[in-house]
Amino acid sequence: MIQLKKIEKVYRTDTVETQALNCIDLNVAKGEFLSIMGPSGCGKSTLLNIMGLLDAPSGGQVTIAGSDTLHLRDKQLAHFRNQRIGFIFQSYHLINDLRVLDNVELPLLYRKSTAKERRELAGEALGKVGLGNRMKHFPTQLSGGQKQRVAIARAIVGRPSIILADEPTGNLDSAMGNEVMDILLRLNKEDGTTIVMVTHDEQMARKTHRLVRLFDGAQVQ
Amino acid sequence: MLQHLLTLIWNKKRQHFLLFLELFVSFLVLFAVFTMLVYNYGNLRTPRGFEYRRVLSVTASLQVPEGASKDSLTQLSEQLKRSLRNMPGVAAVSYVSSNSPYTLSSSSDNLSYDNISVQAESYWADDDFAKTLQAELLRGRWYNKQDVAATRRPVVINEKLAEKFFGAADPVGRVLSGNRQIVGVVRNLKDKGDYAEMIPGIYQRIDSGFQDKFLIKLTAGAAPSTESQIYKTIMHHLPGSSTEIEKLEDKRVVKNRLALVPVVLMLVISGFLVLNVALGIYGVVWYSVNKRRGELGLRKAVGATAGGITRQIVGEALVLTSLPLLLGIILAVQFPLLHLFDLPATTYIAAILLAAVFLYVLVSFCALYPGRQAAKIYPAVALHED
Repeated sequence: MIQLKKIEKVYRTDTVETQALNCIDLNVAKGEFLSIMGPSGCGKSTLLNIMGLLDAPSGGQVTIAGSDTLHLRDKQLAHFRNQRIGFIFQSYHLINDLRVLDNVELPLLYRKSTAKERRELAGEALGKVGLGNRMKHFPTQLSGGQKQRVAIARAIVGRPSIILADEPTGNLDSAMGNEVMDILLRLNKEDGTTIVMVTHDEQMARKTHRLVRLFDGAQVQ
Repeated sequence: MLQHLLTLIWNKKRQHFLLFLELFVSFLVLFAVFTMLVYNYGNLRTPRGFEYRRVLSVTASLQVPEGASKDSLTQLSEQLKRSLRNMPGVAAVSYVSSNSPYTLSSSSDNLSYDNISVQAESYWADDDFAKTLQAELLRGRWYNKQDVAATRRPVVINEKLAEKFFGAADPVGRVLSGNRQIVGVVRNLKDKGDYAEMIPGIYQRIDSGFQDKFLIKLTAGAAPSTESQIYKTIMHHLPGSSTEIEKLEDKRVVKNRLALVPVVLMLVISGFLVLNVALGIYGVVWYSVNKRRGELGLRKAVGATAGGITRQIVGEALVLTSLPLLLGIILAVQFPLLHLFDLPATTYIAAILLAAVFLYVLVSFCALYPGRQAAKIYPAVALHED
């Protein structure tokens, strides 16, 4: 599903050059649940951003679902992300001025759909994460675990084949973290969604199919 | 997307209250400015109805000796007019009242016909007035010497007055209050300046007494010395008089400038307001974009294009403008509905449309640059910052 070949990422300023990723080769199979671990600053999030087409590598090739993504233009990249990828972030990134249902609908606003269809799909997604009764709430009225479940609902509402999760349990206590992890495992198992998760939590990582470790921008396991 | 923007703006209504208020007041000020502009432009486009070029406006004030008979004064004025008319370069001469074209004087009269009462500008002019100003008669004729024997006072009315009293019917022959019989209808004369509104007017015949105000129409080939010859002729007939000769062209320029003073003042004041509003909107949108970097990064991550982000920022500003604009329009519409200031409804409607379009264009322009900057937000960076 995701093929990374010789991925390099270098951040340059006038005086400093930082090698964030160094020759990463990684294949993620369809339906696989992969976790990425490593110390802070080792390039985990950078790698996830490159997989999610939010960032461009300095070198190498990114192929997703058979499409070489390096030469896609802004419009094509946006379309690709919208149709194929769902994102989950550590800090949820919910829009506090919008109700839960409106937050979940967000990816659908950027594709052709009617308001009714959007409502139905968003309701369905919220049902999957057990928040069907919180549609009219604002994010500020929810707990951390509930917020992350809303973020998961937003990630799956467009029925993407890939979910990229950047430390989804990082801001949650263990009970809530387990709840979120259970939802991700269920999505992977029941819907066959390919999931790549960055985590610091060894216990969470062990629940996934495969673990990749990074150190100083290089793959060590 | 529109529904989404409406929801977003509505949910932030408390944060935007002051901006709402500023936009509401701005619309009302713009409405007032555009009403003034549309009104003046409409008046400017109306045909003038007379020819002011090569016309001199003369005032010859004379201390009339005590005990002088009316007949002798009439004769004096007639002699002067005859002399002026016979001068080379003079095409026509007409005695007029002090509210002649492009003066600051005004004289109104309350007229009535068939239980309809109209306040009209009352002019006094002699038989050669229409000829001197090349005013066009639409019906009937201008009054003349033959009317001296008439039992009713002959008057000529303008189109506006004719319309008020008689609609499309022929007014010639009808008798107005004060035993005044209409003998003709003249085209409306825009004699209060190019930006002045056409008002109902009535012309009454000057036939006796000393006249100190007159208009002189010069021929196309009149020599430059004609003006000084006119002065000498006047001084010959009216020695000791205080005589002032002005070109109607010059008086028109002065009158028009005076009419534009309030318009220019209003434009300057509203210009400052618009500048403040523009800076305010720009500042608010700029601040909002910087505060919402995470949200905008997220939108790009879930499928928004750079163009889509710019459109969203501009769209939000337009939606934000629409709510106070709607309130402003509801208020502005009361002006034509309640016939305030007696202006035509079309003037108010045009002003509402212009003010709305102007405000939308201004807001779009102010939101465009922050919107473009927002489009350049790099999602990976913005999501990491938040």
